[in-house]
Amino acid sequence: MIHTTDESDIEIERRFVPKAKDINEDIAWAQINKDVLRSMERPRLMYWVIFLASLALFSVGVYCEVYQYRNGLGAADLENPQVWGLYIATFIFWIGMSHSGTLLSAILHIMHADWRKPIYRFAEAMTTFSLMTAGLFVLVHLGRVWQFYYVVAYPNERWTWPNFNSPLVWDATAIGTYLTSSIVFLYFGMIPDLAICRDNAKGFRKKFYWFLSAGWQGTDRQWANFRVAYMTLACFLIPLAVSVHSIVASDFAVSQQPGWHITSFPPYFVAGALYSGCAAIITLFIILRYVFRFEAYMTMPILDKTCRLTFAIAMVWTYLNLIEYASAWYGNDEYAKQALIFRATGTYAPYWWAMNFLGSIVPFVLVFKSLRNHLPTMMVVSLLLNVGMWLERFMIITPTLAHGYYPWTWTGDWWPNWVQIGIVAGSFGWFSMLFMLFCKIFPAVSMYEVKEMVYHRFMASKARA
Amino acid sequence: MGKVHTLALFNNFEEAVRAIQELKGAHLPGFRIDDVVIKSPIDHPELSEMLGKRPVYVQLFTLAGAVLGGSVGFTLIASAQANFLLQIRGGRPVVPIPPDMVLTYELFILFGVLMTMLGCFIAWKLPGNRSTLYNTSISVDKIGILVRADPLVIPKINEIFARHQPLQIMGEHGR
Amino acid sequence: MSLSNLIKNWSSLRVKRPYEDQYKDKDYKWAMVIDLDACTGCNACTTACYAENNLPVVGREAFSKGQAMHWIRIERYWGEGEEMKGRFPDRGAQFLPMLCQQCESAPCEVVCPVGATHHTPDGLNSQVYNRCIGSRYCSANCPYKVRYFNWWQYPERAWPNPLELQLNPDVTVRSKGVMEKCTFCVQRLTEAKGRARTEGRRVADGEVVTACAQACPTSAITFGNLADDKSQVARTWERQQIKLASDRQEKDENLRGYRILEDLRTYPSIVYMERVRDSEA
Repeated sequence: MIHTTDESDIEIERRFVPKAKDINEDIAWAQINKDVLRSMERPRLMYWVIFLASLALFSVGVYCEVYQYRNGLGAADLENPQVWGLYIATFIFWIGMSHSGTLLSAILHIMHADWRKPIYRFAEAMTTFSLMTAGLFVLVHLGRVWQFYYVVAYPNERWTWPNFNSPLVWDATAIGTYLTSSIVFLYFGMIPDLAICRDNAKGFRKKFYWFLSAGWQGTDRQWANFRVAYMTLACFLIPLAVSVHSIVASDFAVSQQPGWHITSFPPYFVAGALYSGCAAIITLFIILRYVFRFEAYMTMPILDKTCRLTFAIAMVWTYLNLIEYASAWYGNDEYAKQALIFRATGTYAPYWWAMNFLGSIVPFVLVFKSLRNHLPTMMVVSLLLNVGMWLERFMIITPTLAHGYYPWTWTGDWWPNWVQIGIVAGSFGWFSMLFMLFCKIFPAVSMYEVKEMVYHRFMASKARA
Repeated sequence: MGKVHTLALFNNFEEAVRAIQELKGAHLPGFRIDDVVIKSPIDHPELSEMLGKRPVYVQLFTLAGAVLGGSVGFTLIASAQANFLLQIRGGRPVVPIPPDMVLTYELFILFGVLMTMLGCFIAWKLPGNRSTLYNTSISVDKIGILVRADPLVIPKINEIFARHQPLQIMGEHGR
Repeated sequence: MSLSNLIKNWSSLRVKRPYEDQYKDKDYKWAMVIDLDACTGCNACTTACYAENNLPVVGREAFSKGQAMHWIRIERYWGEGEEMKGRFPDRGAQFLPMLCQQCESAPCEVVCPVGATHHTPDGLNSQVYNRCIGSRYCSANCPYKVRYFNWWQYPERAWPNPLELQLNPDVTVRSKGVMEKCTFCVQRLTEAKGRARTEGRRVADGEVVTACAQACPTSAITFGNLADDKSQVARTWERQQIKLASDRQEKDENLRGYRILEDLRTYPSIVYMERVRDSEA
């Protein structure tokens, strides 16, 4: 059953949220449960539109992958120096996207920034699902994907192991660790909420939530262990997230290719990852706020804080980006300099300039408070920022492979064909499909933490009064 | 004769605090403060402090996991490299330190995380039987005080609860 | 067992290669010398390689996309030629046969996630097709770009029946999705080494050559065993004062020998002979 309008719809909009407050402290706790649980049952029509659109997009990707699987990677128009094409570029994009969720959630949790509480759940889900999407690209780009398990270090009678020297093996280990840890972190933070779902569900759903909630009854011993364990996980996740994207950067920094062999790549990648992740959080914030009627929880002041954070990270990224150019420009490495000049003036120059414009100039929109509070503008800007970040990854892969050490192999006329574009589009479908499913099955706003937030703010205001 | 449970639900946080204080001061026979359990919708460290020190051992699991992951990870990787038939690659030493450090670091975190989760589940006594005295309103906004005591003192405990405006008192009998 | 192996052999497991006189006591270290002044760019080496190593002819369309499989390719450069009135300059064409440099410290070997490419005891950079999963990282990291990927299922299209009868039975036919590259005709080397071992001797100089060296009409390509001091290759290396384990050769000004992109510390096994001219200097 699809309900497009109901009474509570109007009720939410009427409910007063003071402009300067992150959340209305007088909100009844039962109302929090009710609002979030209702989001899992009756989202707006837009939910189904988005879900079906992403399903369609995913099918396109599956078709292209099947075509490529049958014919070989030549079907994707890859060629000798351009061996990776959009696949690795989009792989970095998704890995980057995954960073903000867990990292911001963990950092803000450790720093007790309580405005994270209404938005961290979906951000962590974003992390998990974009990691899964990135994992797809690892498989998609392989020539013999049916032998992918050779990368895994499993004991076998021939004593063959993966090559532990290879950054790709570090990648596989790091991404595996990160995926496991972020799922654990996401699940752990959700246990008290799953208990709420269990208490309110019927039938097979009750069984499902009963199993997942791990016997949670909110006892003081459970809370005490939970508190310690959750904080420990947060402490583990911060260095882990930084290490994962540094390792992805090592794929390039460790290699010899001019334009990749740059020591500032790891921090540059981490900053870029945070940047695109923050922009994605804004996009999803706006979508979820509308689709699930979370106006009372995902409030404008929280969006405002997220935007300011995004601007700060955008400036960090801009700085590191300029440093990368500067070190290539002033360094005595002629090859790296040539690679930089090729990027700025060669075939791919329009995309390079677009990347710099979208990544460094467009974020200045976030400086203006009136624009920060204008949802349509923020939607467009956040999407543009991510387009810029995707172009950044494209600029890391394609022009560099086109302009290596050996002049005879220089190419300037390579463009991705429909198979690659279809698979990249399909990855966006796969991500939003999984994400939307998650938000329907699991509470997208953390109920117990919103209660904590409301409680502590209420106590603080009482103490002031 | 075994001990039985009783659970009182409170709407008011301060009343629950007072009820616990009174329980502590009552010196009932066959009743220990360790048998009192608070069930709450959000974390109330200040409330559980009143119940005395209840140690948390999750960190020990974390430490064990991290140490185990780091040391066993490095040993396994290095010995796999040393045993690999096709071991010489790119002029690098067969057992190169920097790549192994990267992998060791990841395994250190992975095992730390997994052991933290395991430790927490063990501390929650999973997969064990939960106490049957539970009310779904606890997951909404009520505070529950669960006491495990001798059946003879249960009426007295319930009396103490009754003095602090409980919403409901639930017992194992008569349900 | 593994651990004791690790502890017992720790120092030998920590050796960095190449080091000086690495192959002094070894039987074989295969190497090559290519005299560019003798090369006429006739492509006979390429053709011989296609025949010997079962390389597929990919066709015009795939070739123009850069999906060719030529393990040895002739690169043409225009040097200091005279500008002609017509459409083409008639002089100054330079040719450079480019094949896998069999680097002693090969960038491709380090990055392969599954260890499909590794270094053999006789100094070859080998590729295990069965192990390759096609991540193409080796190709991305190869400064010479001499690794070729099977973008399509070539055997079906390159050798329609009965052409498969012309395939060399000693060489694997590669399927789609694996990386391949020049092997220094390892099938010939293995056979020669086996024969020599049966007779209790070392492979003699000139007993085995690669297909490209064999086919070269001007004998521009010399192949041989660098571990054997008396081989032609070893003598040329010595005469050109090129040391295998050095990334910057201290040699006389007038010597022609050089190794390509040596300063990347790849330590290639192929010496090219040509006066390096810098037209701007």
